[in-house]
Amino acid sequence: MPDHIVTSYDTDLENLRRSISEMGGIAEKMVTEATDALVRRDSTLAQNVIQADKRLDAIQHDIEERSVLLIARRQPLAIDLRETISAIRVSGDLERIGDLAKNVAKRVVAISDQPVGQKIILGVQHMSDLAEGQLKDVLDAYASRDTKAAHDVWERDGEIDALYNSLFRELLTYMMEDPRNISFCTHLLFCAKNVERIGDHTTNIAETIQYLVTGETPTGDRPKNDASNYATVTPGAA
Amino acid sequence: MSTAATAATQALTQPATRANADSSAPIRIAVKDLNFYYGQFHGLKNVNLNFHDRQVTALIGPSGCGKSTLLRTFNRIYSLYPEQRAEGQILLDGANILDPRVDLNDLRARVGMVFQKPTPFPMSIYDNVAFGIRLYEKLPKAELDARVESSLRKAALWDEVKDKLKQSGMGLSGGQQQRLCIARTVAQRPEVILFDEPTSALDPISTGRIEELIEQLRNEFTIAIVTHNMQQAARISQFTAFMYLGELVEFGPTNRIFMNPEKRQTQDYITGRFG
Repeated sequence: MPDHIVTSYDTDLENLRRSISEMGGIAEKMVTEATDALVRRDSTLAQNVIQADKRLDAIQHDIEERSVLLIARRQPLAIDLRETISAIRVSGDLERIGDLAKNVAKRVVAISDQPVGQKIILGVQHMSDLAEGQLKDVLDAYASRDTKAAHDVWERDGEIDALYNSLFRELLTYMMEDPRNISFCTHLLFCAKNVERIGDHTTNIAETIQYLVTGETPTGDRPKNDASNYATVTPGAA
Repeated sequence: MSTAATAATQALTQPATRANADSSAPIRIAVKDLNFYYGQFHGLKNVNLNFHDRQVTALIGPSGCGKSTLLRTFNRIYSLYPEQRAEGQILLDGANILDPRVDLNDLRARVGMVFQKPTPFPMSIYDNVAFGIRLYEKLPKAELDARVESSLRKAALWDEVKDKLKQSGMGLSGGQQQRLCIARTVAQRPEVILFDEPTSALDPISTGRIEELIEQLRNEFTIAIVTHNMQQAARISQFTAFMYLGELVEFGPTNRIFMNPEKRQTQDYITGRFG
């Protein structure tokens, strides 16, 4: 695409892209470290994650302000307008991802003195690995405007949902087996839910990429497999 | 539901008549294989384009693309100049206006034009509007008065001039003069109104008033507007045609042209990448 006649317009848009990249990097790191902190019961690492969220919020706020200013000054049209709107949307999703990772990190402190079933923690880690992969792939797709890669991310969210369902049931079983498990299981339930929500936000970003490139949002529901709304476990069942 | 929510829901269910492009509206002007020449220079190349009834169609494009040339074929104003000629067909309600047998005065009453520079006649405000009416109709004074008043009201000028109708039209401000020209056009009861960059010479407030006026006029007249101002085209038109070097590059509903055009050239032009 040729450059704008007014170079500062290109600079404005390039700066928005850079800020999104920076947010993406921070969010990825937060998700990785939050899960590591959970698995290793590392409160110091958890504190890093909690602190990192401040920077994420600041960049998101800045992106919003600059986007609004761009709209007022440049009256962008077509691809430029979609890019500006996309920056607002994606920065919102990344900010939420940061909040969710921070929430996981906060719970590390809560369960740090509890005997936690390692198997189930690894289940959460596995989910988180998938979500991290999704996040990385969708951020790459955003940078390269790759609608195919975005669509793949969009479709794969079902895997995270499926893992969440089985973790949900497992956690219910643990809680029923022994009431002393309830505390850490509840925290892990929230952690798992947060990771599942991180997955959902990456599909939002994938939808925004499609809108950015083609001007159309994907129609139809993405493959949704989160059945935890209906999940129950009967005492005594296997 | 709260009263605010109820009111909002009611507002939403009213159709957004102003903004939507209605492709099903009948075609008032159909341009077919139009070629235009300034002497040897090929100014318009095989243009095919439809203007729908009571819709505003904007013509945009860089300088020299042919948009004003195209506009000026619709009332055959080019016929004043012997070296300018058009080939092809322009059907106004099915009849070809390029036919040499067409009565040009009648055509120009049916297809009115407002120019970039306001062109009030050097006569009173009243006479500016009445002049054209008197050419075609013999009306008793009361009826003529009523026609002049209704035309000035339609042009959103009545309240400002009703007490000075005998004063010269040249004494009005730029924005008022432009609205006087619109009143003059509307007085002829045209079917189509052509605007050639009507607000380029006006300040933002006058521009806003003219844009508001065009949105109201659309309820009665089919409108074609040439404009350099992309945002104006996006604001007031339902259809937009992008032209370049004498050719029609892309045509479609304004929302689509400005949000998601099909042609790279169109996008480059509207986003300021044309270099």
